[in-house]
Amino acid sequence: MICEKLKLTLQTLFPEPTSAPLEAQSVGDDQDKKTITPPPPRPDGLLEREYSVHGYHLDAQIAPAQLLVAVSMLDDADFFIESITGVDWIKDNQLEVVYDFSRYDFDLCRVVIRTRVDRKSPVVPTITEIYPGANWHERETHDFFGIKFDGHPHLIPLLLPEDADFHPLLKDFKA
Amino acid sequence: MNSPILLQPDETFILNVGPQHPATHGVLRVKMEMHGEYIVNAETVIGYIHRMHEKMGELKTYPQFLMNLSRMDYLGALGYSHGHVLLVEKASGIVVPERAEYIRAIMVELNRIASHLFWFGAFVMDLGGFSPLMYALQDREHILDMLEAVTGSRLTYCYFRFGGLYNDVDDDFIAAARRFIPRMRKSMKKYHRLVTGNIIFRKRLEGIAPLSKEMCRKYGASSAVARGSGINFDVRKNEPYSVYPEFDFDVPVYHECDSLARYMVRMDEIEQSLRIVEQGLDKLPGGPIMPDKKPKLIKPPAGDYYQAVETARGSFGIRLVSDGGKNPYRLKLRSPTYSNMHLFDEACRGMMIMDALAFMGSLDLVIPEIDR
Amino acid sequence: MGTQNIPSSVVQFALADKLINIGRANSFWPLTFGIACCAIEMMATGCARFDMSRFGAEVFRPSARQSDVMIVAGTITKKMMPGIKTLYDQMPEPKWVMALGNCAISGGPFAFEGQYSIILGADTFLPVDVYIPGCPPRPEALLQGIIELEHLVSDWKRWKNPEAA
Repeated sequence: MICEKLKLTLQTLFPEPTSAPLEAQSVGDDQDKKTITPPPPRPDGLLEREYSVHGYHLDAQIAPAQLLVAVSMLDDADFFIESITGVDWIKDNQLEVVYDFSRYDFDLCRVVIRTRVDRKSPVVPTITEIYPGANWHERETHDFFGIKFDGHPHLIPLLLPEDADFHPLLKDFKA
Repeated sequence: MNSPILLQPDETFILNVGPQHPATHGVLRVKMEMHGEYIVNAETVIGYIHRMHEKMGELKTYPQFLMNLSRMDYLGALGYSHGHVLLVEKASGIVVPERAEYIRAIMVELNRIASHLFWFGAFVMDLGGFSPLMYALQDREHILDMLEAVTGSRLTYCYFRFGGLYNDVDDDFIAAARRFIPRMRKSMKKYHRLVTGNIIFRKRLEGIAPLSKEMCRKYGASSAVARGSGINFDVRKNEPYSVYPEFDFDVPVYHECDSLARYMVRMDEIEQSLRIVEQGLDKLPGGPIMPDKKPKLIKPPAGDYYQAVETARGSFGIRLVSDGGKNPYRLKLRSPTYSNMHLFDEACRGMMIMDALAFMGSLDLVIPEIDR
Repeated sequence: MGTQNIPSSVVQFALADKLINIGRANSFWPLTFGIACCAIEMMATGCARFDMSRFGAEVFRPSARQSDVMIVAGTITKKMMPGIKTLYDQMPEPKWVMALGNCAISGGPFAFEGQYSIILGADTFLPVDVYIPGCPPRPEALLQGIIELEHLVSDWKRWKNPEAA
């Protein structure tokens, strides 16, 4: 099973074993409706997720410096790049870059790689050397969140007008 | 004094294709550096129809967002809605009645046939043959009549609800669908005689724009772009969802990697969709179309969810990051045409411009889906 | 009307003008300019079932220099707007503009609070002659729009208005 093999390969990125898996904390209906507290940021590590609930199998949170190593592991294992996107965690003052990978064959294994960077100066290395398809995804993430991809060949606006200097999907963006 | 104008041997010029051009399928701009008729380099510029669907995903509540999905890929709108409702149902734990799932599958497959028919007409028109567009759109009108009688819309459907559907199908629809299937099969024979065997058509597509498996993998291509290059990938089989495991259908895969292979994949997919519709109508169970118990306010638990479905254009994925509130915290729409279009820049180097436009047609582009 | 500065001729031929206007009304040449979803309904109108050709308008010209109606079908974004203005300026007089669909009339379903990317309607920068509402409008609505434009262009009516009850 590719999932088991990949889990062992990705685990080598984390010298300490991952702490007890954090369950998604439901903070919906029974709490005070005015304050919705997001779950606390989880530490770096590899988690295995319930596919029928979440829709993916492996979830690795890594430091930006380990990104190229992790993505090369996936490239060697014949994954294809599904998408790259960002999430703005304004309360933690961090921006998260989420990478989705999947497979073409019937040995299904969806992998999500996340990395968190500081909101004021978000810099993440680019993976266009490994996956040329990441080019547009990274440009779009830069457009929406302002995340700089270090080493990207052509980081200009993709979806916004060429002279746009705003990043619309940030939570404090006002049109 | 006459001074001759001498062209340098490797001189190139920039040709701007679009955003208004008869061959591009929407507002797409491609800046091509040309050496005579050959493309040296190409750069695609998109964003001319960027309508902020993802930001609206954060500003709108879950039910309010239902209408946005149809405006993204309007030709295969029901497939997109299917992905969205499946995701929210999975995250919230809403159970869908079986009848609703079967009807959803039938509708999505009819929509897929309509989308492929439109692609077929527009593709052959790009290559210069105007008649198949008329025939294909006429067949598509029959499908639109059926779908309009049940959903109320011709193009931008808002038919699925969280938990099921809002309107049940009646006997008229089932009778019309049963009449449609043999008529569509007859039409397919006509299209194959008219177009697929045509020598001009074949010469324009055979051997054009070969895409290797490795290139498809590096760019994340799906649907006919991957299946025409020998990759057996269809989300309905690789990652089954809804009631697709109940149906018996094949996934057409061709190994020639050229534009003709991509064309043949989509034509064969129409036949497979007809099979699914037939089986769906045979197996359609009775029962309700909405669940008894449904939360009044849709608030999925906090966390990260992903759903992939096979739409007419490929593997459409939605990622939902929820914080437990009534608006999504982040809704990412992974559009298949975005990944398919991306390999155009690299693949069209060295091609003649007319071949590049035939290649663009074989990718089945709908630009608002790229720009979201 | 899109015609602003046509110098009037020294000798006016009323009957000739009337005939020319009837000719113009019956042979609109639209610009192939489909932006988004409404473009599909525009193409469906041009095809067999709804048949815009009955009204003389099926000849879609890709070049703006050869067309006289611009059917703005779809949402106009800030990035696209200079291109549309250029195309409109390239069209020779007399020219008309039809706004097809809610997005071209006023931004449509995308006129949402927090919208940073679209222009709220074609009439903010173009002189629109006919508005066709709908999301997307049915092909019959587009045909009605063409007939309305015919009435705008010439005095000749295709059929009488039904008597008010």
